[in-house]
Amino acid sequence: MKYILLMSGTKAGVEGYHAWPKQDIEAHMAVLHRINQDLTDSGEFVATQGLAEPKEAKVVRGEKNGLPVTDGIFPESKEFLLGYWIVEVPNAERAYAIAGRISAASVNMPIEVRQFATHEAKSR
Amino acid sequence: MKYILMMNTMKAGHGVPSWPKKDLQAHIAFMIGLNKELHERGELVSAEGLSFPDQAKLVHAGKDGRPVTDGVFAESKEFLAGFWIIDVDNPQRAYEIAAKASAAPGPGGVPLNMPIEVRQVMSGPPPEML
Repeated sequence: MKYILLMSGTKAGVEGYHAWPKQDIEAHMAVLHRINQDLTDSGEFVATQGLAEPKEAKVVRGEKNGLPVTDGIFPESKEFLLGYWIVEVPNAERAYAIAGRISAASVNMPIEVRQFATHEAKSR
Repeated sequence: MKYILMMNTMKAGHGVPSWPKKDLQAHIAFMIGLNKELHERGELVSAEGLSFPDQAKLVHAGKDGRPVTDGVFAESKEFLAGFWIIDVDNPQRAYEIAAKASAAPGPGGVPLNMPIEVRQVMSGPPPEML
């Protein structure tokens, strides 16, 4: 079963993170690297990515002529995706355990855990 | 340049949309066609759909490091329905693809013109964080 673990935060939260002392950021990154390594070793790792800063984010809509209309204005409260992990695990509990580890490495911030849609669900 | 296109269109508690079956099929056929086109152009890195928000959990670490799960979300929360990761030459091309996905057909075949969030994917943490 594939799960995606989503780490999200607001613009203000990201700015707060940038203000951490360098050694704390390094320690945080080191634990995340360690988690990625452990997931690779256990064969559960599928992918992980960090996203560029929320200030670079755009929202795009198709207009009637099919041309993209871009907008970069978001409510202050909007939670932006900061990064994600995709894991392949035998059950939801294992996905929650991994999310708990990532959370503990990241000031106990909440991690959203979502299963990928199965083929059956997609073809309904 | 890698970009992620996110369909953040679902709200808390929602399951399968109650569209007529043929409209759902047309929507899915459009998405399959879009993925095929992006794949043929060598721009598709991955595309996934997520299960519905009624299955989502929020997890944080408790004091002992164990996972604490919660399935209660604010009504206003936007849920990721699915995403594409694409590898393109410039942001304009990412916006074009996002506009195409945005115009996927909804009920009655009318373009949804749903908002698609476009974000660049980083190859690693910023140098100042390493």
